[in-house]
Amino acid sequence: MVNNEETKLKEKKIELSIPAPMLGSYVHAVRTGNLLYLSGKGPSKPAGGLMTGKIGKDLTVEEGMEAARLCAISHLAVLKAELGSLEKVKRIVKVLGMVNCTDDFIEQSKVMNGYSDFMTEIFGEKGKHARSAVGMNSLPQNFAVEVEVIVEVE
Amino acid sequence: MKNIFLIIISFSLLNLNTMAQDAEAKLKEKGIVLAAPSAPVANYVNVVRVGNLLFLSGKGPNKPDGSYVTGKVGKDLTIEEGYEAAKLAAISHLAVLKAELGSLNKVKRIVKVLGMVNCTEDFKDQPKVINGYSDFMVEIFGEKGKHARSAVGMNSLPMNIAVEVEVIVEIED
Repeated sequence: MVNNEETKLKEKKIELSIPAPMLGSYVHAVRTGNLLYLSGKGPSKPAGGLMTGKIGKDLTVEEGMEAARLCAISHLAVLKAELGSLEKVKRIVKVLGMVNCTDDFIEQSKVMNGYSDFMTEIFGEKGKHARSAVGMNSLPQNFAVEVEVIVEVE
Repeated sequence: MKNIFLIIISFSLLNLNTMAQDAEAKLKEKGIVLAAPSAPVANYVNVVRVGNLLFLSGKGPNKPDGSYVTGKVGKDLTIEEGYEAAKLAAISHLAVLKAELGSLNKVKRIVKVLGMVNCTEDFKDQPKVINGYSDFMVEIFGEKGKHARSAVGMNSLPMNIAVEVEVIVEIED
C-alpha cells in the first residue's frame, strides 16, 4: 500500500506552516546530489513560540517527547517547502537528536522517540533512520530539543 | 641511488597498504570476535545505506558481556578508561558493518566520525578519548581507516554511557 504522507498529516490534523525563520546566517536545507541536509530545528509550537526548558528539571520525559515531535513537524515543514510534496522523500537517513537536559538525565533515547515515532508514522518504512540521541547542557533560546536530519530524496 | 631508495620506500608502503587492507585478518590477529550488532535501544535502525555511503547510528561502549561502560569522564572515569570505551564503540560499529556487508573488506573508507564524550564541564581532553576510536579504526583499516572527525563533550548520554560515536562509511560498489 502506498503510504500517502500528506493524507497521514491531514488525518492527524497537522498543518505545516512556513518554516520558522533562521536564527543566524545559515539556511534551512542544503541539497547535494540526492541528499538533503537539514539544519537543526527546535520545537516550534503550533500556536507560535517554542517549547523551552531543561528535561529532568523543567520538563518531564513525556514533555520532551512532545518537543521532539514538534521538531519533526518543523522538519516536515522544511521538506514540504523544499520539495513541494512530502512524497518525494525516499528515506529519512540519519538523525542527530540533541536534548537539553540535566547532567544526570539518561533517557535521551526515550525523548528522541518522539521524533522517530512520528517520522515512522508519517513515512512508514521510509521513515526508519539511523540515529544518535545525546544530552546537551544548553541549547539556543533554551530549546528543550534540537534535531538535525539527513534525508534522501527521489 | 636515489631511485633505489624511492623504489624501496614505495615497496614498503605498498606492503603496509596491502597488509592493512585485510581488515578481517587484522581483526583475527587481535583476537577480536565480532558479536551480532547490539539492537537499537529505541525506534531506529543501526544503519541506512544511500548509494555508496552507510550512515551508522550512534553506538555506545558495549562490553563483551553485553553491559556498557558507564560514567562521566573527568569524574567517574579517567582519560584512559574513556579511550577504552571509545575503542569499544568502534568494535560495535565493526559488528554493524560486518552484519551489513558480510565482510569488513568491503569498507572503502571511514569517512566522518562524530565522537561524543560524557564528561564534566571542565573536561577538555575529548580528542584524547576519541583517539580510542580513531586509533582502532586505523589499526584495522590502515589508510582507509583515516577519517574526518569531531570530538565533543556532552553533559549526559543515554543510560549514562561514557561515549557515543556515530560514523559515515564509504563502501565498495
